[in-house]
Amino acid sequence: MKIIHIILQLLAITGFYLIGEGVQDFFNIPLPGSIVGFLLLFAALMLKIYPLQWIDSGAHFLLAFLSLYFIPATVGVVEYGELFSGKGMLLIPIVIISTFLTMAAAGWVSQYTAKASPERKERS
Amino acid sequence: MEFNLLAAFFAVLTVAIYLLTNSLYLKYRKTLLNPVLASTAIIAVILVVGNIPYDTYMMGGSWIGTLLGPAVVALAVPLYKQRKLLFTNLLPIVSGIATGVVVGMASGILFTQLFRFSEELILTVLPKSLTTPVAMQVAGNLGGIPSLAAVFVMVAGFTGYIVGPALLNWLHIDSAIGRGIGLGTSAHGMGTAKAFEYGQQEASMSSVAMTLSAVFGALLGPVAAWLLLL
Repeated sequence: MKIIHIILQLLAITGFYLIGEGVQDFFNIPLPGSIVGFLLLFAALMLKIYPLQWIDSGAHFLLAFLSLYFIPATVGVVEYGELFSGKGMLLIPIVIISTFLTMAAAGWVSQYTAKASPERKERS
Repeated sequence: MEFNLLAAFFAVLTVAIYLLTNSLYLKYRKTLLNPVLASTAIIAVILVVGNIPYDTYMMGGSWIGTLLGPAVVALAVPLYKQRKLLFTNLLPIVSGIATGVVVGMASGILFTQLFRFSEELILTVLPKSLTTPVAMQVAGNLGGIPSLAAVFVMVAGFTGYIVGPALLNWLHIDSAIGRGIGLGTSAHGMGTAKAFEYGQQEASMSSVAMTLSAVFGALLGPVAAWLLLL
């Protein structure tokens, strides 16, 4: 029975995705359709329009293999091998340094803001 | 029919290699056995050795790729489950993530422009801190190269995973919220995996940061690209 639940819920997720793509296309929103679908699903859950248990196990199943879905795309890097033999190599340290800055900025600001507003102190 | 069979073969091959590398990774827990990295390397070697064009592989590969969109939608479920954590810490979470995404994109543009990279490559580097499925779509929409974007996302992920704890220590970022938001905003899923080693609270913060920074990044990407074109 569980497998039927998962299949139905995967169809529901695909439905949200297709609606997201449709909405994005119709209103010409400068966001990927999948993000529009994500926002629609989050809103539907928050507003209790769509119950969590109708999507929970499907989402869990789909996300369990998340990294599989982008392997075909990452294999595409074989077509760009020559990029990393020249100046393109510089892009690696650029990404590394930019990642440091991102982590420092995000971590520091959230920690500082949390300490500055003690009534919102982290709770789990 | 023959072509469909070939496509099915490449799809099955990809799944099989992924499941194999994933189980090896779960068994030995070595960073370099990361399933994406290992599977990509194995399949790339197969294509090169067998002299198989990427387009031929993608006849089947693209079947698997179609799951990316629904997977992004499904990220709403874990975020919804973390809603209490999110709303009780809304200001520090949102301010940290927003600052991180802006700093990440701005520094990416600045450094790539400094070395006079093409616009296509700048737009490819731009979404590197976002989770791979979103980064690829953002790069593709803006005129970057999705598969290369995925490579930079991986570089960012490994950076956060390997060097993140040292950087956080050095900057005295020692609270659960600071560590989680820092790791999740800069290094998405890999950062979240590292956050798990600190504890449940750090991991929850990091997964919230991974999802929200993807949404912010998708919003900010077109703005950044537009500013770049001015």
